[in-house]
Amino acid sequence: MGASMSISTLFGKLFGSKEVRILMLGLDAAGKTTILYKLKLNQTMTTIPTVGFNVENFTYKNIKFNMWDVGGQDKIRPLWRHYYSGTQGLVFVVDSSDHARIDEAKTELHRILNDLEMSDCLLLVFANKQDLDGAMDPQTITEKLELSKLKERPWFVQPAIAIEGEGLTEGFGWLSDNIKKTPKYSGK
Amino acid sequence: MDRISDPSSRGKAPSTRTVASSQQSTHSASAHLRYSHSAAASSHSPARRPRKLRSQYPRGSTENHVEYILVASFDIDRGPVMEHQYPVAITGDEHMLAELMLPDQVHVRNQDWTIFFLHKDSSQEEDEAERQAKEERRARRNRRRDRAKGIIHESDDEDGVDGGLDDDDDDDDDWDDESTDSESELDQGPPLIYVLSLVNNKPDKTVKRGAVVKAMAICTRHPFLHIYKPLLLLALEEYFKAPVPETLAMLYNAVNEMDLSLMPKLNHLERTLLQASENKDLFVEKFEQMIEARIAEMSSADVIQPLDASGGPPQRPGIFRSGSKAHIEGHATYVVPRDTHEFESKVIYKGIPIPIKVPVAVMPEIVGDFSLVKLIQTFSDPHAKSPQTFPPTRTSPPTGPPPTPSSCSEVAEAVLAACALASGGILRGFTRYAFPYTDLTKVDDLLKVPGFIAGVTNPRFDEKPEWWDLLCDLRSGKMRISSKIEPAPITEGLVYFQQQNPAYASLVNLSSGGAGSGSSSSSSSSSSSSGSTNDLTGDAAFMADILRAIASRAGERAIRAKWRAWVLKFTRIAAAFEESVYGQSALYNGPDAIDPSLGSASGHGYVWVDEATKARELAGNVTRIEGWRNTRSYYSFIQDVNRQRALRPLRNLDLAHLHDRLRTQRLTPQQSREIYEAMARHVRSYDDICLLLSVAPESQAGLFYVALGLFHKDKEVRFRTADLLERIAEHEAGQHWWRALSRFEKLAYVRIKREAEAEAAAKREENGFGDD
Repeated sequence: MGASMSISTLFGKLFGSKEVRILMLGLDAAGKTTILYKLKLNQTMTTIPTVGFNVENFTYKNIKFNMWDVGGQDKIRPLWRHYYSGTQGLVFVVDSSDHARIDEAKTELHRILNDLEMSDCLLLVFANKQDLDGAMDPQTITEKLELSKLKERPWFVQPAIAIEGEGLTEGFGWLSDNIKKTPKYSGK
Repeated sequence: MDRISDPSSRGKAPSTRTVASSQQSTHSASAHLRYSHSAAASSHSPARRPRKLRSQYPRGSTENHVEYILVASFDIDRGPVMEHQYPVAITGDEHMLAELMLPDQVHVRNQDWTIFFLHKDSSQEEDEAERQAKEERRARRNRRRDRAKGIIHESDDEDGVDGGLDDDDDDDDDWDDESTDSESELDQGPPLIYVLSLVNNKPDKTVKRGAVVKAMAICTRHPFLHIYKPLLLLALEEYFKAPVPETLAMLYNAVNEMDLSLMPKLNHLERTLLQASENKDLFVEKFEQMIEARIAEMSSADVIQPLDASGGPPQRPGIFRSGSKAHIEGHATYVVPRDTHEFESKVIYKGIPIPIKVPVAVMPEIVGDFSLVKLIQTFSDPHAKSPQTFPPTRTSPPTGPPPTPSSCSEVAEAVLAACALASGGILRGFTRYAFPYTDLTKVDDLLKVPGFIAGVTNPRFDEKPEWWDLLCDLRSGKMRISSKIEPAPITEGLVYFQQQNPAYASLVNLSSGGAGSGSSSSSSSSSSSSGSTNDLTGDAAFMADILRAIASRAGERAIRAKWRAWVLKFTRIAAAFEESVYGQSALYNGPDAIDPSLGSASGHGYVWVDEATKARELAGNVTRIEGWRNTRSYYSFIQDVNRQRALRPLRNLDLAHLHDRLRTQRLTPQQSREIYEAMARHVRSYDDICLLLSVAPESQAGLFYVALGLFHKDKEVRFRTADLLERIAEHEAGQHWWRALSRFEKLAYVRIKREAEAEAAAKREENGFGDD
């Protein structure tokens, strides 16, 4: 599902004033906070590990996002579940160069998606850090994360270089597009 | 600098001074003989507390000020981890402790503070050990008491725990915190460990991911944990340089060497008086006595040791008031605090003396440093039209989550203030179930706690109304009542009240919709729905008064005193409600037995102007009282009332009732005569007078209504009132009340004393001739 997209016509009149609630998760040091502030401020921030969470409201291409970014160290991953309810889109960020932990990422991703409260949300995967040597391409990431196992859920893997802002527009374009196309995802 | 520097000129002989101020020293002195002959039987003057003073924190006590020092850090791979615990590890979940020490979002701040409480579950063996230790202490005390008949001084070393000045003389008949506090532990569980944690986030380019986040915490059983803030700042800085256990040990040793042994221990009444008073000199005599006893102790120790080379009589060490010239110039060996509300000490950390101020009168539920004024201001503006009070009736969890970017120290302070607000320093059971700051890591535990007050910064709480009943948003100053709250049940008491008072039944507010139905919102419902014209509970008037006081820059202490009075009033109304509706009250605080000689002075309880006013006020409070009757704070208050009744002086009089009647009711000369006579006859001892002062606080009218007895039409009442006032003026605390009395009443006092003296002289003359 949903590898194709057309963002061109959709921005501007998509959701009116409705807010889209996005939850951004992923292993520690995947680049979540960098993505959040690149989107919010269009700046590359030097980020340090997130203790707890960040939450920002911003309008991106006329869509109001309420975006949560939650710290990813293994001891604090059990807290992710408290953020599930009401989520319309999950942004899962992967460090594409981290071969050692891609399996761990897969496990965490499926754990999230198996939660009842997350059964209705869209999945956008950022295959981040494409600029690093040995970065896995989107196809590899798709396989490693076993996304083909996902049945009804629309998902999309977007290659990205967060510090450059590369790929972010495309990823959020897909998200907006699909929230619009799928009434059951378009909010409360 | 403007303080009086020589304490010997002050406070030592209040009676001479007070009487001198009336310029009638000789007359009043002899008048005193005539009119207080019945007092001659009582053994001691009320001026000073008859008992030996004790230290709150005796020298050589085995109890440490600080029990543990902890350091945790946020590991870039794992998350919160504990690095060191000193001197030993606290039992329990280390990871949980580390999480508690590192509040949410320190990654966006350089520094933050958090506070949390630990309920240290002592094992059965520990309980047993504690009980045995208590018994041993008691036995040792008894032994020592016997021994002390002959021995004046004991060396500190002999006993290890306490000796000499700090003799822990546990009078069982004492209206004292020793008994009240230790018993309150029994029904509330072991004392809490209060934890203050400082967290620093330091950018560091040399480390992976660019920053180091570490927290250092101090764990203490003292509720005044805020005094350690400057030390944590220094010690955490040190730890960044030297991340070793020795750094923790250095702080641990420094804080535990803090000397508070010259801080006198006050009993319950004294603490009540001190915390409600703005007077910086109140009980200054006790500080001086502590020092004098110490000097005596030291010089008696000198007798054993060889005198210094000079051979002359040893110089008596100087006692000076803090801030005085001599003190600043360094002549003072011992220092009396410049404000008796705070004991001044210091902690030597790495050779640097850090000044510390410890609150002298600590009331229940008052933890840390916070501002009621700030809390009230935060929530008063948006509600100017319908003031909302925190009723002391919470049965269910109110949380106070302000979304980011409030720092967690700000939130924690607000929670501590909310506890103080709900308690008024009177009701208990709030701090024990408070979470000054919490995040999602603890939400599952939090929700298991029935009725909590919690501080949070995560907006996720805002989105989860099933987690709370009342949400107080510090950022917007708005309160929200949960949509998931259950309506208040119709209780027996409510039905009875309506049956007994059909005329007022309709005033009992039940049906004001969602907002009014919850017990935790009953105050807002009754004040808002009944409107400003009909403020049955007095909430609106009270809040207006508080806000007026704040606007006119009344201090924190004054606001706390007002709040305390309000909570006290609520408990007294609740007692009256129970008596009227159920026929008797578990909160009964009146005389043990009716003394027929007292006449109308044998009454008890809250006083209303008339029955209609009473019925209206009770009607306004029904849901609140009935709600409160299901709470922890109600049950612990019953225990407190009974304990205090057993310990308090004047068990056959309800002084608060008598004073209220003088204050609020139109009395016949006969009625007021009975009240004045009862007061004059019974209020004699040091504790009696403390009790009287506590029902006539300086912030209200002080002794004004008592002194009105000087104008009674019956001469005997006037004379007796003058005697009572004289006793009060000689009393350690009463002297300050006396001084605040209006000139008009003081002049009346002088006139009456003169009159009494003349009469006594005439009588003596008469008798003299008769004898011949």
